[in-house]
This record gives sequence, structure tokens and C-alpha cells, in this order.
Amino acid sequence: MISEREAAKYPFLKEATSLVETLNIKVEDLANPNYSRILDRGERRVSEAIIDGIVGNGVPDDLTELLSMPVAIMLVSAVGDRFLERRYAHAEAARAQKLLWSESEAFIAELAKRQFGWEIKYARRELDEQTYLFEVGFVDYLRNAGSFHEDKWKLVNRVLSGGRVLLTRMEVIRLLQVEVEDFVLGRVSKHIRVEIPETVQARVENISKLFEEHRRRISGAELPPEAVSEAFPPCIKHAFEGLLSGRRASHMERFALTSFLVNSGMDLEQILQLFVSVTDFDEQLTKYQIEHIAGLRGSRTRYTPPNCATMRTHGVCYNPDIYCKGVKHPLTYYKRRVQSIKGGEKTSLGITGSNHQGGI
Amino acid sequence: MSEDWGSIRFVKNQFRRFYEAKSKFVKAPTEILRREFGFLSFEGKTMIRHLSFNNEDQLRSAIVENTPAHIYYSSAYYKNPEAEMDKKCWLGADLVFDIDADHIDTACKEDHDNWICKSCGLEGRGRAPQTCSRCGKNSFEEEAWLCDRCLEAAKFEAQKLIDILIQDLGFTPLDLEVNFTGNRGYHVHVKAPMIHKLDQIGRREIVDYITGTGLKVEFHGFSRTRGGASTMADPGWRGRTARAVYDYLSEADEASIQGLKLSSQALKNILEEKSEILKVLREDHSSRILKYLDLKSLQALVEASIKKQASAIDTVVTTDLHRLIRLPNTLHGKTGFMAQRVNLDDLEDYDPLTRAIAFKGDRIRVMVKRAPKFRIGNEVLGPFKDEQTILPVAGAVFLLCRRAARVEG
Repeated sequence: MISEREAAKYPFLKEATSLVETLNIKVEDLANPNYSRILDRGERRVSEAIIDGIVGNGVPDDLTELLSMPVAIMLVSAVGDRFLERRYAHAEAARAQKLLWSESEAFIAELAKRQFGWEIKYARRELDEQTYLFEVGFVDYLRNAGSFHEDKWKLVNRVLSGGRVLLTRMEVIRLLQVEVEDFVLGRVSKHIRVEIPETVQARVENISKLFEEHRRRISGAELPPEAVSEAFPPCIKHAFEGLLSGRRASHMERFALTSFLVNSGMDLEQILQLFVSVTDFDEQLTKYQIEHIAGLRGSRTRYTPPNCATMRTHGVCYNPDIYCKGVKHPLTYYKRRVQSIKGGEKTSLGITGSNHQGGI
Repeated sequence: MSEDWGSIRFVKNQFRRFYEAKSKFVKAPTEILRREFGFLSFEGKTMIRHLSFNNEDQLRSAIVENTPAHIYYSSAYYKNPEAEMDKKCWLGADLVFDIDADHIDTACKEDHDNWICKSCGLEGRGRAPQTCSRCGKNSFEEEAWLCDRCLEAAKFEAQKLIDILIQDLGFTPLDLEVNFTGNRGYHVHVKAPMIHKLDQIGRREIVDYITGTGLKVEFHGFSRTRGGASTMADPGWRGRTARAVYDYLSEADEASIQGLKLSSQALKNILEEKSEILKVLREDHSSRILKYLDLKSLQALVEASIKKQASAIDTVVTTDLHRLIRLPNTLHGKTGFMAQRVNLDDLEDYDPLTRAIAFKGDRIRVMVKRAPKFRIGNEVLGPFKDEQTILPVAGAVFLLCRRAARVEG
């Protein structure tokens, strides 16, 4: 059994959650003023997540600290906003990562194995002046590293032998952060219906309000309402020009183009006309396919284009330019370019104006 | 009365007789209850999907009864395999790889493949162009044939794939199932439960690993600042990258080296000190070749070289979590050959054009529209153009399946 201190540090551990269960505290108990400190800390976990993106230092009392996480989860879940859920899960995971920094290799390996079922072995190896301390099964590696986009995380850029990936201490901790995030996200998105006491409900509303205040700041740019073709990324331009010139395109390329256009703000009818005018596609069939991608038919999912990594895998990433740097998705490229083009127009107009005046 | 090209009734009858006698060799895939099956009939163009069978016998009877032209099963496991797609409830999937000579550049395509523009009728050899040079349209009727060289090339890609799966990814030969597809390639299935839950992103990373996509040399010991110490003998892409460069430089002619995007200094060094560079790769740490060429040029050189070490798998098949894939030991409706399980130890000497021949027996008379030279077992047949001939039944069915002939008399 782990200590209360450890459980408070890592409240996602199986032992920690069973410790919470043995305490058998009901939701209605939370209305009791004796628990207000737990509620305070629970609410603070969420507000720190919203404001700082990381859950900060805990309170000295281990039991209060431990119990504050299920409370925080309940509060987030009660707000019922997907975006807040992700933000909170991310912030809890960031906290866990920070704490794991000061743990021993043995502790880290044990946690990965026991908590998340990893195939992991402590094995020190020096290679190219890098110290690798762990060997991790490639499936466990991929489950967590798949969402990272830096070159160094690509499996093809790892030392892989016999199904095991060599990893540094820092890398293992980073991957564990993903596990924790997934775990917390799984918990907050369950939305179990509970009768929340009035005093607690007030805290749910606090959080909801705080989140609305910060939503814009943390959510980034929106897509423009109308298509701005100058802002298309090179891959989409290539596919688009290919379509216009009648070049044959792979299924993946056509899907990427159509789903991009659907999301770029282009009118469905316009897209349809574009396809039909330059190719000998059957109009009905093309219409159906476009509507399918736009989420008007079938599973009702509105498809987005594949991300950059997938585009590369299928050979559809074409001639990346300087704006592609740091971009992981064609639509992100598009959003950024739309903003800078629109911003740029204002500046350039300004300059032209002043030059004009100066000239006279 | 002469029949239509392809003589579907005749071919279907041959298939039925085959399955009546041989359906006992059709093996149910593992966990048959969780698999979706799909049949493509001779007559229809659409696949009958969402089929499900309780056991091997039921599957075999359905095959004999329906005599489909193509038989597929899902690489995925579902809770409700017979339900519509969104109600199937995906439980996991095997990791599958498809190697098709279509995706490999073999010189022989110029000899046996051809195309016709659907709009203006222009004809040509090899693969169809992007757009028709006469009318500018992009819709073609393509004919892709198979030959020993294509099949050998596909086998070589399969062998490289298997090597990576075993050496790098750590699978055992028992985890792998290799099948000749019955046409122009091979399928490799990995059924180890550990990969069942792997998502699309994870599978994409495996694809990139196998094709060498996104590989950056600085992570494979080619770094001056980080004191890279890789050698050609190293496991994984570390060693493979060095071997790729070694092979490439040993074989490439001056013109193709000049075609790479190398800095002028790097190009000069490679052309003048090639044997020195090769010696470094053979005897020293691979990163020492950075003395001769900058990192960017090395990256360009590696990208040109790794094809020979990577495997040319179809990227779409492996990343598809709901793929239907051909059931082994059934017939391929476009060739009449068997899709066939191949023992890993036998792959080296495996000759599909002998071993996967399903139809034996009498010769039959056919009218052939057009066919290049092809081989069935020890017999070389063709080429034919608008002529009557008498062929062994496997050869005849092959041409009929390709709609290139019809039964006469």
C-alpha cells in the first residue's frame, strides 16, 4: 500500500483511487462545512488549470489534497464542456510530469508498468552522447508518442531493436504525461449524473464563469467564414491546381482537398461545380461524396483533412514552404495565413498611403 | 454463338467446381465470429458486405453456394460484424501490409502494361500518364499484367518488410502470416494481440518506419556535434541508413549522383573520393563521412538511397482500421490463381506461377483479344493478338478473368 503522501502526489494511481473509495465520502457530504477545504482545493485545481494550464502546488494536508482531485473531476464534469475537460486533463498531467522529475528511475518504471501496463525495462545505454535509461515496448511508445509532431518522436527516428525503443528519462516522463492526461480525460468526460448540493453548485458556476472569461484567450484563431484561396497551404494548392489541370489524383489527395475546401468556408455548391466543371465526374455521385465529407450524410461526421504527418505518409505533402514550419495541420496553416494576410493588408495599405502623401 | 469477352458463365463454373472439391482447404481466419466478410460476385459490381459466419463450415458452404469471384474478410474484429459500419463496434484489428507490383517501378511494365485514353482512344505502353498527351483528359483504361520480374520485385519488398518486422519490431515468425495475393503481390498479416488496439496514428508511424518516411539522418548517428558513433552493423535504421548509402554509392552512376540535391562541395567530394567514403562506411563510424559532405547533402543522399532498404508497402491499407482483405486459399477473380498461404521458410523459393495454379486438366479453345507473353507453371504462352488458340485451362481462365479472351465452340 502506498503512503497518503504518495497518493496525494499522484492521485491517479490505482492505490490512490482505492484509498479514496475506502473513505466512502458521498456527494451530499460535501455540503458539510468540514469539507470546505477539500472543495476549496478542488476548485483551485480547476481554476489553476484554466488560468495557468498547470495544476499548482498542493495543500499541506495529504488527505485534503488527495480528495480534492475527485472533487475537481466532479466539478469539471458538471460544467460539461469538452474544451474545459481537455484543458483540465492537460493541466493535471503537466503537474504529474513536474513531480515525476524528482523520482527515481525505479519508481518511474514501476509506475509505468503497474499503472499503465507498459513493457518497460531499466537499461542504461550511452549513444551519440545521449544517455538512454529505458527500453520501452514500441506499442506502448506509439500509443503515447503518436500525437507528438517533432521529428525526434517519429518511430523511424528512434533506436528500435527487438520491438523496444530506447528512451531517455525525460522522454519516458513526457510519455507518462500523455498517459495521465488520457486517464484524467477519461474520468472527466464520463458525465455521471449526480445530484449536486447547492453550495457545490455555486462552485460549478464559478468555474463556468471563469472558463468563459478565458475561453477566447486559450482557444486560438477561428476559421474564416469565406474561403481565402491565397492562404491555402502548398499541399492543397497543389491538389487544387492538379484538379484544375485535370491531373489524376490519388484517393487521399482528393479527400484532403475536398475536406479542406469544406472546412475553408467554401460553399458546397461551389465545390461541386468546381469538381464537375473540370472533370468528367458523375454529378450525383460527386454531390453525395462532398455532402458525406461535409457531414450532411452517413455518419454525420464533418471530416477534416488529414494532419501533416498523415499527408506525408501517403505522399500528399507537397513542397512545404516556410509557413509550414511548426504547423501540424493544413487547417492550422490556413488559419494562421488568413490572419497574417488580413493583418498584412492593413499594414501594406497604411504604408502605401503614407508613401503617397510623402510623394506629393 | 460466340460468348462475351470473359465468358463469365464458364469461369464461374470452373470456380464452383474448384470450391466443391477444395473448399475444405479454405481456413477460417482467427476469431471468425468477430470478423466481417465480403463477397464480390461475378455478375455484380458492388461488394456484398457485412456478412458474418459462426464457424468454418458455414463459411465454406456459403463460398460453394455463392461462388464469389473475390472473397474478403476484415482485418478488424467487431462486436457486431454483420451490423452497419457505425454499429459494428470496433474491438481491434490485425496489422496488415499489402505489397503490390503496381506500386513498384519495374522496367518490365513497359513490356507488358498498356493503356487507352477513354476519351480519344490514344494508346500507350507502361503506366498511364497523368493526362493524355493528345486530348488532355485524365481517364484511362489500364491493363496491368504480371510477369516473373514483377512478382520477384514484390517478393523482395515482402522479404524486406518481414525482416523489419522481425528484427526491428520484434515479432516472431509465428506472429506473421504471409500470403500470395493471387495477382501481383503479397499480403503480410500480424495477428499478435498486442497490436490489435493500435490506433491509426500508431499504424501510420509503423508505415513511416517501414517506408523510411520522415527519417532524419541526425537521429541515426550522423551528427558531428553529438559524436555520432553508428556503424553499418547497427540494428534498426541506424545501420540500415549507413548500408543504404553504401549500396547506393557503390552502384549509382555519375549522372544519378549529379541529379541529387547536393551542395557543390559534397558533389565534388563524392565524385572524387568515392572509394574513401565507402571505406569509411565499411571500417569506421558512419558519421565520419560528414567530413566529405554536409548534413543537408547527406540527408538528400539518404533519401535517394533508402528505397532499397525500405519496403514499398501500400500506405493506405495498413492505416485503414476497417480494411477488408482477401481470404487466403480462395481464388482471385481477376486471375483465377489462388491467394495462397506461404510458409516463411519457403518464401525465398516460392514461385506463385507454379504453386498458386488452381486449375489443372484439359486444354480448351479460346479466342484471345490481346495478351503479352505469360507463364503458367513450366509453360510459356503468348503473346497473342486477335487469334484463336488452345490453352491449358489455367492459362485460359487467367485470360478469361482478365476479359482478354472468350471460350470458343
